[in-house]
Order: sequence, then structure tokens, then C-alpha cells
Amino acid sequence: MLKRRSDVYSVEIYGTKDLQKTEIEDEEEKHKDQKGNKKKKKAEDLKKELDLDDHRLSTSELEMKYGTSIDKGLSSARAAEILARDGPNALTPPKATPEIVKFLKQMIGGFSILLWIGAGFSWISFGIQLAQGVDSAFDNLYLGVVLALVVILTGIFAYYQEAKSTNIMASFSKMIPQQALVLRDAEKKELPADQLVVGDIVEIKGGDRIPADIRLIFTQGCKVDNSSLTGESEPQSRSCDFTHENPLETRNIAFYSTTCVEGTATGIVINTGDRTIIGRIASLASGVGNEKTPIAIEIEHFVYLVAGVAISIGVLFFIISVSMRYKILDSIIFLIGIIVANVPEGLLATVTVSLSLTAKRMAKKNCLVKNLEAVETLGSTSIICSDKTGTLTQNRMTVAHLWFDNQIYSADTSEDQTTQPFDQSSPTWTALSKIVTLCNRAEFRPGQENLPIMKRVVVGDASETALLKFSEVILGDVMSIRAQNTKVAEIPFNSTNKFQLSIHETDDPQDKRFLLVMKGAPERILERCSTIMINGKEEPLDSEKAEAFQTAYMELGGMGERVLGFCHLYLPENEFPETFQFDTDSMNFPTSNLCFVGLLSMIDPPRSTVPDAVSKCRSAGIKVIMVTGDHPITAKAIAKSVGIISATSETVEDIAKRLNIPVEQVNRREATAAVVNGMELKDMSSEQLDAILREHAEIVFARTSPQQKLIIVEGCQRQGAVVAVTGDGVNDSPALKKADIGIAMGIAGSDAAKNAADMVLLDDNFASIVTGVEEGRLIFDNLKKTIAYTLTKNIAELCPFLIYIIASIPMPIGTITILFIDLGTDIIPSVALAYEKAESDIMNRRPRNKRRDRLVNQQLAVYSYLQIGIMQSVGAFVTYFTVYAEQGFLPSTLLGVRVNWENNAINDFEDSYGQQWTHYQRMYLQWTGYTAFFVSITIQQVADLIIRKTRRNSIFRQGLFRNKVIWVGIFSQIGIALILTYGLGHVTALNFTPLRFQYWFVAVPFAILIWVYDEIRKLLIRRHPGSWWDKNMYY
Amino acid sequence: MEAAIICNLRVHGQGENKHEEKVQDPDREKHEPKADMGSKTWADLAGEMKIFLWNPEERTCLGRTAKSWGLILLFYFIFYTCLAGMFAFCLYVMLLTLSPYTPRYRDRVSPPGVMIRPYLNGFTIAFNVSQPNTWQPYVDSMHHFLAAYDDKVQEEKNIECVPGQYFIQGGSDSEEKKACQFKRSLLQNCSGIQDPTFGYSRGQPCILLKMNRIIGYRPGAGVPVSVECKVQKGNESHLRSVDFYPGNGTFDLMYYPYYGKFTHVNYTSPLVAMHFTDVQRNHLVPIQCSLHGKGIINDLNSDRFLGRIIFTLSIGK
Repeated sequence: MLKRRSDVYSVEIYGTKDLQKTEIEDEEEKHKDQKGNKKKKKAEDLKKELDLDDHRLSTSELEMKYGTSIDKGLSSARAAEILARDGPNALTPPKATPEIVKFLKQMIGGFSILLWIGAGFSWISFGIQLAQGVDSAFDNLYLGVVLALVVILTGIFAYYQEAKSTNIMASFSKMIPQQALVLRDAEKKELPADQLVVGDIVEIKGGDRIPADIRLIFTQGCKVDNSSLTGESEPQSRSCDFTHENPLETRNIAFYSTTCVEGTATGIVINTGDRTIIGRIASLASGVGNEKTPIAIEIEHFVYLVAGVAISIGVLFFIISVSMRYKILDSIIFLIGIIVANVPEGLLATVTVSLSLTAKRMAKKNCLVKNLEAVETLGSTSIICSDKTGTLTQNRMTVAHLWFDNQIYSADTSEDQTTQPFDQSSPTWTALSKIVTLCNRAEFRPGQENLPIMKRVVVGDASETALLKFSEVILGDVMSIRAQNTKVAEIPFNSTNKFQLSIHETDDPQDKRFLLVMKGAPERILERCSTIMINGKEEPLDSEKAEAFQTAYMELGGMGERVLGFCHLYLPENEFPETFQFDTDSMNFPTSNLCFVGLLSMIDPPRSTVPDAVSKCRSAGIKVIMVTGDHPITAKAIAKSVGIISATSETVEDIAKRLNIPVEQVNRREATAAVVNGMELKDMSSEQLDAILREHAEIVFARTSPQQKLIIVEGCQRQGAVVAVTGDGVNDSPALKKADIGIAMGIAGSDAAKNAADMVLLDDNFASIVTGVEEGRLIFDNLKKTIAYTLTKNIAELCPFLIYIIASIPMPIGTITILFIDLGTDIIPSVALAYEKAESDIMNRRPRNKRRDRLVNQQLAVYSYLQIGIMQSVGAFVTYFTVYAEQGFLPSTLLGVRVNWENNAINDFEDSYGQQWTHYQRMYLQWTGYTAFFVSITIQQVADLIIRKTRRNSIFRQGLFRNKVIWVGIFSQIGIALILTYGLGHVTALNFTPLRFQYWFVAVPFAILIWVYDEIRKLLIRRHPGSWWDKNMYY
Repeated sequence: MEAAIICNLRVHGQGENKHEEKVQDPDREKHEPKADMGSKTWADLAGEMKIFLWNPEERTCLGRTAKSWGLILLFYFIFYTCLAGMFAFCLYVMLLTLSPYTPRYRDRVSPPGVMIRPYLNGFTIAFNVSQPNTWQPYVDSMHHFLAAYDDKVQEEKNIECVPGQYFIQGGSDSEEKKACQFKRSLLQNCSGIQDPTFGYSRGQPCILLKMNRIIGYRPGAGVPVSVECKVQKGNESHLRSVDFYPGNGTFDLMYYPYYGKFTHVNYTSPLVAMHFTDVQRNHLVPIQCSLHGKGIINDLNSDRFLGRIIFTLSIGK
């Protein structure tokens, strides 16, 4: 529980379930004790262990017991003492899998097994050859050692990567530690939850996770979700009363790690850290179900594919070579070569690196990915169910419209407003602004003068905050205006009055009258008015003006905005002299016949980036569904303003209204949009819901409960969609878990939601999800490119073996040389492809179909293996034959020469010109051949790298130089090749020799051919979409 | 307004709680590890495979219809034909640039390596004097090898040259070159003329040493390359005397340079015969014979046949 499986950032690449098994089994044994007979036994164990009596004690006894005070809390010094004694309030991580086991697991996963087999065969043949006294026996020993080294090194790399990811995750959790509101030294403080000690007085409220075991001493409508402890999903209410002997059943204890669903409570910490109930249930602390994400499945599929190819070609050629009367031992050596040539040793490391790079990139863009593979899942998302508040909107009320002087004015609602553009010359506005300023209890927290107004923290409710900021923007220093107009009396808002009222002295020293200002629900305010201010003049409120008011009110309300009415009255000086004592209880002042001044309407405006993001989703084939608890009108208004409901589409109700017919007669199919009320949803069968989800492209669910969110998610999944869901509340957790990808809000999200989610949006912004989708699609594409790039040269490595066996030519490329390509020259270029920018159409495509669109599909494999790979082989063979021919062995001489060529007793081997060669001279020439072959593959891989930048677009459209990392890759590739050839050319064991300079260019025509051919392929794909060519050549 | 206040409370409540904690939701553990992909039974797999191999409904084999197969095979036929054409063209162009008489580079084949005759499966020459069947194969091999050096043959095909200087023949590359005579009789006691057993019958075996041919190579840079033999590792007294023929065991300069097998058709490599007249009997005597001369390398660890050769003599009674 403490420790998420450590491979958060490393992909579950090896996909070998048996690897996991050991771990799972370990845990299962533990589980069998406590989980096997689950709840019952667990409860029994607990009962036995629990010697808690705190729930029986009274408050004062508790104070005594823990040496604390309910009013003052602990002193900091005392708390520090206890902390030193008990240790931090955190669970000791469960005993992790021993590092050595983790390490060994990396050693045997995936391709490693194949390579171990290769190494084993090498050693066996070394043993046999040594016994036979063959001189070259040690080559096989070296080869085995090198293969083992490769496995160990890649294993170490994967292990390191995993360890690093664990650290990344750890650092993230440090960055955002759980906080607890604690009373210490008679002050309320926010402390990190792990600093809590026994005896602390803590306050909790809805949405919080309980920071320790707590004996409650004060509660208000408090309910907790004990599902993590008991499995009961119904929230249970909590009070201060001792209701049950069993501490687990009694109501006055709240347990660590459970969640407070609603209400507030105060309590004394009675247990911390490992001594909490949860801490005692050790089994809960370990083991997380390990579901395979789409990308993990894809990679597993790919590993199977490549391993299958390797093994079948290996076995096939083993049979062929045996039937061609090769010695068994030789055949085994061929088999090793074929396996090594087929396995892309460096690829899995590359994939991991690419995925972590994306995760880092996404973290920069405010998407914190908890589970790396989720990135890709996000890319295949086809429906996003988004919250409204905070995700689509800015999560703060903002004044959107004003109505005075019989006219509606619009206000600026953007995030960073500094002025308001509407006409402020009217004296009515002056009066209105005064009411807005004065009849307001909200205040800025001090010390924020330097912050932009919109960013300042305000003490007060949402509407008042909106009004305060609005007037601060327009009038400047609101607090000093209030100071000049001293408040003498005030009636705060309450639900019976539905108004707020205050009485002020005026800032005009001549004017001794008091000013009564009032705001509230417009119809209530209007009731209390007899006049209305038009252009600064009070005019009687006749029916015509009342009508105008109604129209404006309806219009503003219809936009989903919350409307407030404002009125004022200058109290006559004679009746209310300066010394008059206002009594708010008896209301010894007039509250009717006031002067109506104007209306202000507020809304939580959409984030400015959202409309763009929504339209991006639309073009990306992703359906955006809004799910909100808000009123349908508000929901619809916001949906329209962000484009979830497009400007032209209508709901059934709209059509009915337009055609003036009853709703029932409207053809439902005509309505593209739908606003579904939570009440309707409740009565719907799942078929009806399916019908709605199917028939309408634009859907808004309003007045929904979080539980209904789960129903909606399930409905979407029934349509076969990959669903992403955003959520913040505790109750969203089921939906977040159910969804293919749960996205929690980083700012507003509760801890439960964050835990259930696969991804955390650090800025709560819907647009960041779209960025995530884009990154997800991009990494899928780029991984395709990386794999295509890597697979290609496998053929160029494999063909030499096959031709060597069949045509008996001298070996064109050595096994060790192959490893230098796979793990040397090719690594950086293949990582570089992860930096490739999207091809322009990435967000215009439909989402990936999980079943059909594989990472490695037939086209990719066939195109890489049978076309580009073969071209590379041909290019490399031309170099090979050139090197041999220029040294005296013409191609015709080379055929069938193998046995004598490799016979180390023949030291006067004749070439095509009659010259005679010793065995070592031939071997040295053979290594020159290896080097030439290697260089040719490297050169052609440069071309391969360039063509893999795009799959459809022309390279020139993508830009050769936009991805600088590709060039780093190309230079590194050539640099490594140069070092190997000329730097290490004298180390015999590596089989590299210095190469004549011109041989670097023999394969260049083929490199160009590869490029040109691929450009033609892409051109034809673009020209003839859907054609035979497109179907067979587009990967 | 009321709604506003409630809403506000909610927002604040969540705001306070924005921190992700280290502990994770225990609920997650309740998930059973998801059933693996591999949970399909073998029967299912076999069924799928069968459909994949031949789908009678859509009449597809390996996922393609006959027409589709036809098209794809046609494509690959054309594709590979073009590639093969390009491959052949490249090789053709490359071969055009090569001279048929002299390879472009000779750096890998020089300096010359050394071989011995008789050579029968390895470099150990072991026989018992008293058992002719143990040395007869060596003798046969020698005779066979020396057939080309018969004086008659040599006189018929080759010319006599001026000893002590390189036999440099000008003219164009394609002109046929003359070869110098190397008569078997030059090998004297090892010629097999007087003693058709090459000394094997007396326990004094002859072994022929030849230097690898390299086109244009002029060994010794003006001074003939000589041969020297000694015991390699072991008691030096085991090898008491060796006679060399012809001369003092030198390769005469007149046999060089070599012009390649197309123009220098009748070229016969000069030989040095080593007559091991006094070798310790009943012992394995490892012998290293090496070339000496300017430009000759005979101490390269990795190549034990470069400028030297190591073989073992084991002469029994």
C-alpha cells in the first residue's frame, strides 16, 4: 500500500507473467492468511490485536491520557518529543522484493532468454572444440562471454531505469505531501501528515484522507468511507458518541487512510504510523494488481513476434544446415548467429527510454503520469468524460454581464483581466459600483499587493469574491473605499431573507446621510424597490420598467449565469441622524421602497484554452462528454461556449421550441446534441443510455451524482470506446478506476481520486488532457518508427548467415559485429526518433482501434524486413564483394569456398589471381569484410533513420533539420563506427580492422535508393489513399 | 446565494486537500491480477490457426485471398528482380574497374606465408623407418607434387633464366609472361631421382618448403631469401643437422616477381628442400623453419604461417 509497484515509469516490457508470479505468489501467501478468509478473519485478527479503549474515554480523560488540550493542542516542543519517540506518522514500507531478485528478473525477461541460450550454445561448442583441439575454439568462448555481457548490461540498464523511476515517483510524492490541519501551541497549522503525533488535535473535512487514527471529539455531519478497511462502500456517519465496544464499530473513531466523505470533524490523534489499524494489517501494505496496459500488450506481442521469427528461422536453418551435411557443431554456431542477428538487443531499452522521455515531457506540460503506459492509453482515447467545474472552467465565479440603464453590458471574463472595457460613464454605474463595493463582506488576505488581482486569495464566498475582484479591477483599492464609507450595520446573507444588507456612512463629508445598500436574489430585491435608477435619476418603477427588468433577468439567467440584484437607499438625515443606533435584529430602518440600481450576473467562465482543446478533440475523433452536477442551463451554456455543443447543433428541446411542438414529437435523430438530466438518467435503462450515447454526438450530463458518472463510463465502454474520465471527488474514484484512463485533478482533486487515477492533471486544465492525448498518439507513432528502424537492419544482419550457409561463402559479418550495431551505432538514433515531431495529421486521425491498429503490424514487419531490410542487405553485400574482389577474391571464387577457407591448416589458399593466402591472412580479410559490411549497414541505417522520420508525409515536408536529436543520432552513429573501425581496429577479439576510406561509400547508392524508394512509397500512399498500395505499404 | 456558499465550501475543502499522499488507496489491491493473454486454451489457438491457414468463408489463406496473394507475389517478384538487377549491375561495374591480371590491393596477402610438402592432414610427419607403409604416403605425396618439376616438363614449358636477379618482364599486363625453369634435379638428394623414397626409408626425410605466391612481390629486396630451421621449444640437440637444396637453402631471385595465373601460366613456385639428416629418433621433435630476408616477417604471434612454418618430426625405428 505504501509502495506502488516500482515500475511506474518503466514499462512492463518483458510481459512474462511468470516473472511476476514469484512476487505475486509471495504476496498471495500472505494474503491467504489475511485475505483468503478475508474480512472475517481480518476482523478477528484485529479484534484480538486491538486493545484500544480510547473510544470509551471521555474528552477530559483523553486529554489526561495524551497530555494534550482540546483548545490549545500540544506544544510544539512536546510534539517534537513525541515525534522523536514514536517516529513519523507514516507506514514503514513493506519489505520490498530484494534488489537481487529484481535484478535477476531483468536478466531473464524477454529476449534475454534467447541470448542466454545463444551464450550457452557458444560455451558448449567451445568445450567441444577445445576437446577436439580446434584453434578457433576460443572465439566461441568470447562470443558466449559477450552475449552474457550483453544480457547482463541490458539487465543492469533496465534495473537502473526501474530504480530511477521509483525515485522519480518518490520525489513526486515528496513534492506533494499530504497535509493535516493541526492545533498546536493554540494555533491552527498546516503540517505535513507525517509530522503528526499522538495527542495532536486535528481537523478534517469532506474530501480529506484521515491522517491518523483519530478519536473524534467534535463532528458536524461527518461521514467516512471505510471501504479501504472494511470493504463496505456505504459511507458511515461519525459522531463523538461511544456506540460500540468494538473500536472498529464504534462511531467516534476515524481510521488512518480512510476518507472523510463529507462534513467536518475534530479529533485527537490516538495512533500514528505503523501502530494505526491499517499499519497493523501488513498485508494491505503490499501487492497491487498488475493490469497490462495496451502498450505493454503491444510490446509483448512484438517480443513474441520477433522471438518467433528468430526461433523459426534458426530452427529452419539448423535443419537445412544439418541436411546439407554441416557438422552439428557448426549448425549450432549458425543457430547462435541467427538468433543474435534476429534479436534487436537494444530495442527494449530504447523503448523504455522513449517512454520515460515522453513522461517527462508530459510532466512539464502538467500531466503527471503515474503509470507510464497510461500515456499511450490516453492516445487511444475515444471518449473523454470531463467534469465542468475547474476542468473546463476556471473554477471561480466571475462577473460576466451587467444590466443597468436598461442595457446589458458584457464584462471581460478572461483569466488575466486587468481592466473592464464596458462603458462606465453613467452615474448609475457609479451608484452600482458603490453598492457592489460596500455590500460585500469578502476581503483580500493581506500581503498580496504585488499579485495580479485575479490571483489574490480572498476570504469570502465565491460570489462575493467575484464581486470584490470585479470592483477592485475597475475602481482600484476597494479596501480604502470601504474604510472611507464606514460600515455601521450589516445583515449578512441568509436563506430566509435571500438578501444581504449593510449601512454605511458616506465618504462625502458634506453628506451626513447614511447609505443603505442591499444585494440579493433579483426578484426579492425588486420586491423591495419602488424606484429604479436610470442614467443616475431615480424614476418610479412602473410595470414597463419591471418588464424590462424581467426580460434582462431571464436573458442573463438563460445564459446559465447567477444573477444578483442591487439596490440602495440614502436614509433621510432627519430620521436617521449621525448618532442613530441601527439594530439589525429589530430592523429599525427601512427595507422596502428602495431604489433599484442594476443587475450583475456571474458565471464560472470557461478556461480560455478549452474551446480550442475541444475543437482539437473533435477533429481527433474524440467525443467530449460533459458530466456535471450543475444546473442543466448552466451546463448547457458552458458546453456551448466551449464547443462541446457546437453553435449549430440543437437539442431535442431546442427543436421542440423552434418548431413549437411537444418534445415527444421531435425526431430524436435530428438532434445532434443532448442535455441529460441526472434525474432522467436515474430512470433510464442501460439500453436507453446506450441509445443516447450512440445517437447524439454532443452530450452533456447535468445534475449528475458522482455515482452516475460510473454508469456513464460503463455506458461508453459498452460502445467499445476507450474512455478517459476526469474526477476530483472521493466519490469519483470508482469511475476513475473503471475508466480506461482515470485523470485526477491535481489542485482540486482529493487524495482518493488521485490514487484511483492513472494520471494527475497538475493544472486541472482540460487542455492539458488534449496535450496528453497528442503525446500519447505521438509516442505510439514514434515507437512504431523506432521499431521499424530497428527491425530493418536485422535482415541485413540475418541474410549474411543464410547466404553463408547456403552459398558457403566466407562469413560476411561476425556475431560480435552484429552486437556492435544493435547496441552501439543504433541505440542513439532509435532514441532520437522519440523526439520526432508529430506528422501534421496526428490530431486529425480517428483514435486508434485497440484490436486492429497494432504497434507492430504486418505491414510494418513486412516493409522493414522484406523491402528495406533486403535493400540494405544487397547494399552491404555489394560492399562485401567489392572488398574481396579488390583483394583478389572475385565473387565467383568465393562461392562454395567455406570449408577450405576456414581450414586453418591450409595456408596456401589460392585466390582468383593465383596468389596464395595463409589462414590468418584470410581471417584478417574476413574481418575487413565484417567491417565493410558493418560500415555499409551503418551508412544505410542513416538513410533508414531519415526515412523513418515520417510514415506518410514527405521528409521534406517534415523538415530534415527540425528534429536536432536525429542529427545527434546520425553523427553518433557515424562517430561510433569510425571509432570502432579505426580506433579499435587493432583489437583482434573485436574483429574490426581499419577500412579503406572508399568502402564507406560503396553502400551510398543503396542508401539513396532506400530514401528515394521510401519517398515514392509515401507519395503513392498520399496520392492513392485506400488503394492496394496504401493497404500493403502503410505501416 | 446559498448555493454559492455551499459551492465555495466545497471548493475550499478540496483546495486544502490537494496534496497527494504517499500511501496509496488500499482498494487497489482488491483487484485480482488480470487474467493473462495466455489464458486461451491450446484448442482455441489451434482453431484460430486453422482459420488463419485456410478460412473457407472468405476463401483466404494466411489472411489473403488468391487475388491478393497474386498481387503481392507479383509485386515482390518485380521488386526483387529490380533489386537483383541493381545488385548485378553494381557488381558488374565494380568488376569492370578491376584488372583481370593484378588485384587492386595486395596488402593483405603480403608478406608471404610458407607451406611444406608433404602435407597430409596436419603438420606432424611421423613414420617408422622399418614400416614402409607408414612413410609411403609421404613419399607418394612428394612424387605427386614434384611431377610438375620434372626436368623434362620444365625444359619443355619454361625458359632458363639468369640466376641472381629478378626476372622482370615488361610489356602490357595482358601479355603472356615467361616462367623460369625450376628443375627437380636442383633438389639433389631430395629430388627423388637417386633416392625415390626421399630419405624416408633411412629415417632422413626430405621436406619441401615453398613460399606463397604474391603477384609482383620481390622477396628479399635484392638479396635471396634463405631458410633456416631450428627446434621450436625443446632440446635443441634433437636436431643435429639439416641440408638445404638448392644452394644453401635460398629462393633465387630469378623466380620473382610472379605475374598472376592468367599471364604467368606455367609458373612453378621455387622450392627449398630440407633434408633432415640427423634427427633424434623416437621423439616428437617440433621444428620451426623460417624465412630470412628483407621484408619478411616471421615472428607474428597471430599468424604462425607467415614467413615460417612449424611442424613436428617423429621418426621411429
